[in-house]
Amino acid sequence: MSKKIKFSRRKFMKFMAKSGLGAAALTSAPMLNHNFLYNSAFAASGKPLIFAAAEALTGNWDPTTHTNLGQLIFESYVFGYLTRCPMKPENPTQLNFELATEATEIDKFTLEFKLRDGVTFHNGKPFGAEDVKATYEYGSQPDRPAQWYPGQVDVEVVDRLTVRIKTEKYGYPAGLFYYLSSFLPILSADDVANPNNAASRPNGTGAFKFVEQDGDNTIMEANENFFMGKPKIPRVQYNFVGDTATRTLGLLSGEYNVTERLEPEQVDTIVANGGFALNQAVSTENKYLWFRCSKPPFNDINMRKAVAHAIDREGLLDILGISGTYTGCHVSPVKFGYTDVEGFPEYNPDKCQEYLAKAGFPKGKGLPELEYITSVGFYPKTKEYGEYITALLNEQGIPVKLSVLELGAWGNKLYDREGGGPGHMIDCGWCTGSPEPDLVIRTHFHSSSKRITGIVDADIDAALDKERNAPSVGEREQILKTEVMPLLVDKMPSVPLFGSVFIHAMANDVKDLYIYPNGMMSAETASIG
Amino acid sequence: MHLAGQFVRRILQGVVVVLITTFLIFSILRIVPGDPVRLIVGGMAPDNLVEEIAQKMGLRDPIPVQFGRYLSQVVQGDLGNSYQRPKNGMMGQGGDFNANMDVEMAEVSDLILERLPYTLQLAGLALLISLIISFPLGISAGLKPKGFMSKIAFFISSIFVSIPNFWLGIVLALFITIKLGLLPSIGYQNFAYTILPAIVLAVETCPFIIRTISVSFAEISQEYFIKSGKVRGLTRNGVIYRHTLRNASIPLLNLLGIQLSTLLGGVIVVEYIFDYPGLGQLTIYAVLQRDFPLIQGIAMVTSALYVGLNIAVDLITYSIDPRLES
Repeated sequence: MSKKIKFSRRKFMKFMAKSGLGAAALTSAPMLNHNFLYNSAFAASGKPLIFAAAEALTGNWDPTTHTNLGQLIFESYVFGYLTRCPMKPENPTQLNFELATEATEIDKFTLEFKLRDGVTFHNGKPFGAEDVKATYEYGSQPDRPAQWYPGQVDVEVVDRLTVRIKTEKYGYPAGLFYYLSSFLPILSADDVANPNNAASRPNGTGAFKFVEQDGDNTIMEANENFFMGKPKIPRVQYNFVGDTATRTLGLLSGEYNVTERLEPEQVDTIVANGGFALNQAVSTENKYLWFRCSKPPFNDINMRKAVAHAIDREGLLDILGISGTYTGCHVSPVKFGYTDVEGFPEYNPDKCQEYLAKAGFPKGKGLPELEYITSVGFYPKTKEYGEYITALLNEQGIPVKLSVLELGAWGNKLYDREGGGPGHMIDCGWCTGSPEPDLVIRTHFHSSSKRITGIVDADIDAALDKERNAPSVGEREQILKTEVMPLLVDKMPSVPLFGSVFIHAMANDVKDLYIYPNGMMSAETASIG
Repeated sequence: MHLAGQFVRRILQGVVVVLITTFLIFSILRIVPGDPVRLIVGGMAPDNLVEEIAQKMGLRDPIPVQFGRYLSQVVQGDLGNSYQRPKNGMMGQGGDFNANMDVEMAEVSDLILERLPYTLQLAGLALLISLIISFPLGISAGLKPKGFMSKIAFFISSIFVSIPNFWLGIVLALFITIKLGLLPSIGYQNFAYTILPAIVLAVETCPFIIRTISVSFAEISQEYFIKSGKVRGLTRNGVIYRHTLRNASIPLLNLLGIQLSTLLGGVIVVEYIFDYPGLGQLTIYAVLQRDFPLIQGIAMVTSALYVGLNIAVDLITYSIDPRLES
């Protein structure tokens, strides 16, 4: 006969009280900080620089494998660049030398860089010419996903601290690397030889070195051997915080020192609260409405122009408030070659109808439902202005369905594929850390790349090749302004909606942190308090 | 029925519930739009590569085949590896061609075990705060169902149940953390960071506990053995705490089992708002990144917790009141 368990109410109450206390002690003891009762929420002194970022890192540390803006920001702490380009409005093309000390154009196809002596990688390996050679030749391979290079390149090692960038074999001028040198992080030749090393941990020459990944936080510490001297800030944390409101609250409460990608109303809250500085700058990013040009109906230039004339860009700027600014061509106002193209299609319903009729869809009749894809959670106000654009297009008889997707699903559908990418139009910005315009226009509109639009157009290819191959910087600028930009406006593979104004907010005690117009940062001389 | 028999029967039922839940989640993930392979290799990857990898990973097999394969791993204690989180860091959520198929990915069980203690701590504290608020309110309301305290309890419950948790979270962070500087709340550095999120969760659960206690008290107060307590010379507090409260504990215990499980679900929004590094935040990012193995693992662990808690509550109630066994 089995014995029944005797469990009286009194025993139960005692047992619960004991086990509750035990469980509380077990679960919370390792995390319990008994100081919390008298610690202020505003601890600041001795804190590391904590950057609350809007975008997660990829987890593959090889800089040639991604176009992730968050990771570009991370790289700006850890990696070194031959030059840096602050892109300040008063002098947007000024270059500061970093790992290079001098750049000389030997001839049209040869650019020589003298390199800085005494620099070491975080793993202790001395930096030299072989590292630049390895990085550039590796990064310019056509199979590298990032595709920031204008074409393949050979690098000649002249001596331990001199390299020559050579492009003659590939048919474009080496001068393109003048501005690009500020955007291409330099890897160690050893890591290039073993890409698994490059993928599994970042090893640069930058002011901060990678320590560990703690959940969603990436931790870096000051590099004692940094060639400019050990930075004043001992530690930098790149914390991925997906929600904008949380980033704002975290900044206001002193948990983060710097944050980015704020909505205008959150900026108002931060300003009203006091004690914070805003870094508000026209960025290298234009926001675009990209057409899927390789499939109907946007394989017809008239349809693209009809949409361009249906969009009231002034209305968009009203919605965006301080987060947007006017742009007059397919690159941002701070990019080399920017110009306000004459005849840029402005809001004009009559012209829209004219082009619709030319496309064979008078008043939109006969058009299938067109999908316009946009994202939420990263760019400001995308849903709001997406609804506005949809309403404007519907008003003209163009049947548009807006699909608002979270970032992962949107990224899934962003790029062109065989037979045309998903949907018919998609919203996206493109942001690079250099004044070099080809990082945008060649990447997206040349038939060798055509990332989002899928456009193949011999006229655009010819114009892009012509500006790339221009014999001098001056002539190139002229071609960009008078031929390439007007042609892109005429062909309209995407509608440049506005230029993004990047708003970073930071605690007042953060000094000398420089934020580039694409969001990358320089913290080597920065301090807190 | 014998308690041990009850236990075995409930465990078997629990296993079936966990299996059904896991199968549902598993199937839904494969039906909804959003190809995880596209996110793994990136939007720039060509379609043929996506297909090749999907085939290699078995993601194009029929769902029952995939589920069978998954279960055979689970019974060996292997919840699989994350599609998006390498051991050395996080995966981006954009459309880049990351081409990092060679990078070692984190084990789902490690990711869950890393975050679970934080969530249990949050849910436990939330429950404790709920009880501290609910007991006095519920008891006083139950003792005089038409009295002033009953109206107060009803008023507070109505307010609490109407407040959206994300709104309350933001307001509390603004006032308590930012304006008054009393408690930190965004992120996690020590136990203090758990308090505000726990208060938000407690506000969600309080109305149900207050209601259960007050109704239960009101009913038991009408019983003869309670009414006769005073005649037997017992003090008022003696009647309340030694007799009424004990008899009211069974419905409360059942409710607590459900509420603790509900709290595990409620933490999702709260953890996201407070940047609290628990299972809820991990779930949100896993869903955004279409990280199938991680979502499945979290679903399985939380449903097992839910089932386990409810079995424990049932067994305790059987022990307290053996009549319930039948």
